Parts: sequence; C-alpha cells; structure tokens
Amino acid sequence: MRRWHRFAIPLGAVALVFAVTGVAYAVNEPDPSDPAFLSPLSADGIGGQRLAQALAARGVRVERETRTSDALASAYEGDATLFLPVPRVVHPDYLAMLRLMPPTTRIVLVDPARRALDDTGLPLVPGGRRWAAQAAEPGCELEEARAAGRAAALRQRYEGNGTRCYGTGVVRLIRFQSDFVVIGASDPFRNDRIGEHGNRALATGLLATRSRVVWLDLHELESPPGVTDDPGSASGVPPSRGTDPAEGDSGGDGSSDDSRSGGGDGSAGSPEDDSSGGPSASGVDGENPLWDAFPAWFWALLIQLALAVVLLALWRARRLGAPVTEPLPVTVRAAETVHGRGRLYRRAKARGPTADLLRAAARDRLAQLLAPSPEMSLVDAAAAATGRDREQIEGLLDGPTPESDDDLRRLQADLDALVEAVRRAR
Amino acid sequence: MVTGRAALLLILAAATLPLWPSPWLGLAVLAGAVLILSMVDFALAAPLRDVEFTRDGARTVRSGETATVALRVANRSPRVLHADLRDAWVPSAGATPAVHRVVVEPGSAVTVETSLTPTRRGDRPAVRLTLRSYGPLRLAFRQRAGRPETPQWTLRVLPRFDSRRFLPEKTARLRTLEGSTVTRGRGQGTEFDALREYVIGDDVRSIDWRASARRSDVLVRTWRPERDRRVVCVLDTGRTSAVLAGAEPRLDAAIDAALLLAALALRAGDQVDLLAVDTAVRATVSGGRHVLLPRLVNALAPLQPSLVETDFELVVGEVLRRERKRALVVLFTALEPGALGDGLLPVLPRLATRHKILVAAVHDPLLAEAKGDPYLAAATLRTLGERDRVRSALTRHGVEVLDAPVDTFASRVADTYLALKQAGKL
Repeated sequence: MRRWHRFAIPLGAVALVFAVTGVAYAVNEPDPSDPAFLSPLSADGIGGQRLAQALAARGVRVERETRTSDALASAYEGDATLFLPVPRVVHPDYLAMLRLMPPTTRIVLVDPARRALDDTGLPLVPGGRRWAAQAAEPGCELEEARAAGRAAALRQRYEGNGTRCYGTGVVRLIRFQSDFVVIGASDPFRNDRIGEHGNRALATGLLATRSRVVWLDLHELESPPGVTDDPGSASGVPPSRGTDPAEGDSGGDGSSDDSRSGGGDGSAGSPEDDSSGGPSASGVDGENPLWDAFPAWFWALLIQLALAVVLLALWRARRLGAPVTEPLPVTVRAAETVHGRGRLYRRAKARGPTADLLRAAARDRLAQLLAPSPEMSLVDAAAAATGRDREQIEGLLDGPTPESDDDLRRLQADLDALVEAVRRAR
Repeated sequence: MVTGRAALLLILAAATLPLWPSPWLGLAVLAGAVLILSMVDFALAAPLRDVEFTRDGARTVRSGETATVALRVANRSPRVLHADLRDAWVPSAGATPAVHRVVVEPGSAVTVETSLTPTRRGDRPAVRLTLRSYGPLRLAFRQRAGRPETPQWTLRVLPRFDSRRFLPEKTARLRTLEGSTVTRGRGQGTEFDALREYVIGDDVRSIDWRASARRSDVLVRTWRPERDRRVVCVLDTGRTSAVLAGAEPRLDAAIDAALLLAALALRAGDQVDLLAVDTAVRATVSGGRHVLLPRLVNALAPLQPSLVETDFELVVGEVLRRERKRALVVLFTALEPGALGDGLLPVLPRLATRHKILVAAVHDPLLAEAKGDPYLAAATLRTLGERDRVRSALTRHGVEVLDAPVDTFASRVADTYLALKQAGKL
C-alpha cells in the first residue's frame, strides 16, 4: 500500500500540474470564433477596440465589414488595407478573389492556416508553431517592423519567399500586384497585449500604410459567393453588394453605409443560402442531419435497448440481502516481541549490548560444559579443553565492542564455534 | 422490482420495431406492455408477510466437523411461492449453499437444509434470511429487508479436543497408579486404603506391626492415591493468549490441555473447577462430577483472546473465594516477564500458601533460525533469560512450572498432574 503511494503521489502531482497547465492554456487561448475576437467594437481582452482607436488617432479611417463580399468590394476600390483577423472562416472562393486586388491595396492576414494560404495563392507554408507568442526583434528590412522594434509577433512561423521579420513570424510579399502581409500571431492586435513591447507600433504600422482600413469582423463560416447577376460588370470585379442575393432581401430598407458602419443587418444565414446549396449551408441552421441519416425505427430501437439496459441495471443493483460482517479474532504472531526487539537492536545499531548478550550466553554455556573451579578461570578451562590460544579466547569473550555488523556476525560465529569445540572436546 | 427477464423481453421485442408502421408508437406499446406485464407479475407474487420461517437442527458441532441446520419455509398465502432464499450466516460458519431455490405450494411447507462447516471455534450465529418471491412469469419479484422475520439460531462450535488421543494412555497410567499397592512414595498425603497379608516382595517398611500383633499373620498396609481432591483450571484469556502457537492461538492449546486434564482428573475421582479470566471472569464451571466434561466444553467454546492485560489480582481473589479446601491450581498462561512478573508475582504468596500451583505455559518455538542474525539472536537470548528469571522466581514460591511446546503441551500437563498425584502432593 505504502509502496504504491510512493509512486502514485509524485506521478499524480506531475499529472495534475500538466492538467492544470493544459486547462489554463486552453482557457487563456483566444477563440477566433468568439464574436469579440479582434473586433474593432469589442473592448474585451481579445478584442481590437484599442487598435481601432489607435488607427483612428493616426487619421486612418476604419471601415468595419461583417461580410466578406462587402469587404472585398470596398477594398477593391483601392488605397485601402484589407485586414482579415480570421482567414479561416473566409470562404475559399473569396480568398481566391484576393488576387484581384489593385496594387494600392494591402492585405493583412492573421495566422492563416496552410489551406488559407493555398487558397489565396501565396507561396508560403506554415513552419513550426510556438506554445505562445514570443517577443522578438524584427531583424529585417520592413519599415513598419523596424519602427516598431521588439514585438510579440513570433508564434506561427512561415517558410517561403518575401521579406521575413521577427524570425519568420511576419512575412511580407508582393504577389498578384498586391501587397500581402502574413503575421502568425494575433497578440499585437489584441486589446490586452497591444500595450506591450512595440506591439502597438507594429499593429498600427502594418495597418496604417493606406488611408483606410477595411476590417473584416467575421467569426463564423460564411456562404460561398453567389452567382453574379450581371456578367458584364463582373469581369475582374469582385462580387459587390449588389450582386449578393442576400443583400437584396435583407438590406432593402437600409442603405449600404448603414451596413458598413453598423454591420447590424448583415446576418450570415438567410433562407436563400440554403437553396443555393453548399457543404457549409446545412450546418448553419436546421436540425442535426444525423436524425435523418437513420430510419426512425433505429432510434426507437436504440431507446428501447437503453430502457432494457436500465432494467438490467435495476435488476442487478438489488442484492439478495446485505453482506454479513463478523468480528475477526485477535491473533498475534509467534515470537512477535522477540522479532520486534531484534529489529529495535538493529535499528539502534546496538552492537555493544548485542555483543554483551551473545558473550554472556556463551559464557553460560561454557560454564555449564566445563564447570570451572575457583582456582581455574573459565578462559583457562576453555583453553585447556580446546587447546586454543588463551589470548584468543579471552579476546573473544571479553574483547572490544564490534565496530560493524560484519564484525558482530563474525563474533557470533566465533562464539558458536568455540562452544561447539568445547562440547566436542569433552 | 423487475428481473433480468423483463429486460430480456424488452430486448427481444425491440427486434420487431422495424416492422411497426410507426416505430415510436411501437416503442411506447412494447415498453408499456412489458411494464404492465411486470406489474401484473409483481401483484401475483406470493406475499412476503404470509411466509413463516422456523429453524431446527444442530445446536453444537465440533470444530472441523459439519453440521446441518434445517429451515422450514411455510407458505400460508393462497398463491404458490417461487422464491430465492438466502440463508446468511457469518462467514466463518462456512454455510453452503448460500442461496436456496424453493417452491412452496399454498398452505404447505418445505424444508431446506444448510450445511455448516465452521472454520473457527465459538458461537456462529445465523444473521439474516432474505426472501425474494417471484411472480409466476418471473418478470418481477417482491423482496423486503426484515420480512419475514429471521428466526434466531446460533451454532456453538466446540473445541476439537485433539488431545483425546492421549486419554487412554494417561488413564492406563492412572489405573496402575490406583491398582498397585504403593511400593514407593509413602508420602504424607497418601491415603490409607486397607490391610492385607504380606507377600514376598512387599516393602518391609509398610508392615503394620500393630495389626500383625493382633493377628497371627504379618499384615501390610496398602495405600491408594487420594480421591476427592480438587483441581482448578485457570485460563488466562488476556493478551498473551492471543499469540499464535503453531496454527492456533495459545488459548486453544490451553483449552485442549485443560480438557485433557479435566477428563483425567474426573477418572481419578477428583473434582474439577474451571475459571477463564482476563480483566473479568469470562467463564466458570464448578462442581458436578457426572456431566462435567460436556459442560466444560460448552463453557470453553466461546472463549476468545482479548487484547488486555490479565488482572491476576482478580484471578487470585476468585480462586481463593471459590476454593476453601486445598486444591491444585493449574494456571494456563505464558511465561512472560511483563505479564507474570508484574501481575502475578506480587499476589502469588497469598495463593501459594493455600493451594498447590502449577503454571503451565505453551512456549514460543524460539528461533533456531536466529543463527545468522546476531541482533535477533541477542533478542532471543534476552527473552530466554527473562523467561528463566520468571521461572526461577515462580519456583522460589513453591510453584511448579511447566513450559512445553504446543505439540506435547496437553500430554505434559497430564503427566505433571499424574506425577503430582503419585507423589501425593495434591
């Protein structure tokens, strides 16, 4: 039992430390699907309100968009920075449209996954990923980075061409005429971290190179782009508000400016989305498709079997009378006190008393065997009987206290041998 | 409460669900049907309050043998009783079978037998009867704790009395002691028996000259061993009696020896009393020559060692109070300096002046294996030394001391008794 504890307690403590660390990490890790995540309106720790204010202070207009099509249309007008905090939720078709952006538009992607990079057409692949963002020195030619200095920008590394800063945590490259910036950490943009190091300078620097920022505040998967109504106007033009079928219904009374600034009526899932089909459409609303995957009798069968299992449990749970107890008799092992005393001697390293006891016992035995007279001592009698050296026998019976357990064991053996020799001599 | 059959029925019925036009309706109908059937079955089960138990059979059994206790199950209800019946005894009673299956017609009774092979001496109670009354379909059952009432029953497991095998030999020696004329041992205590004519070979010292003078023959006196002496067996049930001697505690060896001694003393015509004491008097048997042995066995059976220091003041007080005449007090205990030196020696003189005392101790098989371990050897030597000191202290008070290993203990106690009787020291 105790031996079992000896292993279990340290291992358990280590496992507990790991578990607590893991839970704390998971709790602290920002969730990109949280509506507050890098939203220009959110004052939460993971929000981006302070960044938006900083941009405004630098004279940059922030346009919040809640639909990718609107954001693309706005960014297509040029002289803008398209900020995609959560590229993961942007539909691949929209990502592919990024290559149509004019040269005056800068596109900033925060922590894009490999798939998002592929869809966008950027020649980058994600490299190693750190446990948390690390503050690093820029170490590159990018002006914004050099101006910002040390910043917490190194988390997801990217391998590929382009200007690489912060130990490949930030990559800038010109592709399809446009100016792409890929940054692997969301920390510099977040309210809670923007004040640290050069984070604010880096974030505003990356976003404030143009006169306005188109900020895509989107956190859940979106329907794919609809078919454009007007093929003539669509050549090389990204889908505009007018071409999106959803806008025609829901935004009938509101102007387009309302939708941009407030973003209130840009709801993601409208009935038309379902009809247009697509893998992500059914996941938005409606009931769980698993219900329809099996016939109704299957579910009824499952419930009936569950009921049967409950009955089985009830049946087995009822025992046929409680267990019977009885007091056990007291027993003590034979010679328990002798063993206990022996262990005490050993623990106390009581070699002196032990040797005395052994010698006294040997003397008694010799006295019984030899019956020494007053004029002939026991040692002399033993020496005479065995023919051994008198000094040796005296040393054995009256010698110094043994120094070690080995000496003690030797003394015991010698005493036994002496007694045996005397017995045989008689 | 439902049985496994109800669950099984539900599982089998579940197979028909795909055939139902509406599986959900099928689920409701099937589950409801099983529920209703179970309720009907429960209602049709024989009621528990109309069942009565009575026990009969063995009240005592010798340790190691098997006894049978019968249980009569009477069904006074108008319905047939199908039931599982658990006859729960304490685990050491070794009851088999644990569960009986009974079917009792209305108004009749059935007897089931439980065979018991107890593993320990003492009182083994039947603890609980649990009745599970099934309905005719066995879909549901009735069962309730404490109903019907459990009849009290206790099986007393008597000591094995292994030393019976010594009894013929000891009795034969007793007979030679009685039958022969006393050729030696004309001790002060021997009783005059009769006068008879001198034959060649008689001890000339036993010639009764005064009687010879009255007759023409030479007459010798014959003696016989004393009769109507008293033997008191005192069993120490304190902590030292819990020490294992072989497979069983020291107390069991003492009980065995006390039984042999009592049987022998009864044949010799002596009276035997018995006391078992630790901090209180645990058992007493006195007087009554004829049915003494069964009474002794019965009184000794439930004795158990208890982890307390024996109160020898109480022992001495009880013996002095009970025995007015001079008696042989056989004290079954252990030669342990703590228990005897501190407890018995201070009060011993009061007892020794009135009675003849024999201290009989089962000794620990002390440690031939202590050879290799000097500490253990020293502890052994010290214990042996203390034991010798106690022994010599007891002997100084005129107490006979017997210290024997467990296998010959009972025989040695009987031998000592015979020797004392022969020497006329009773």
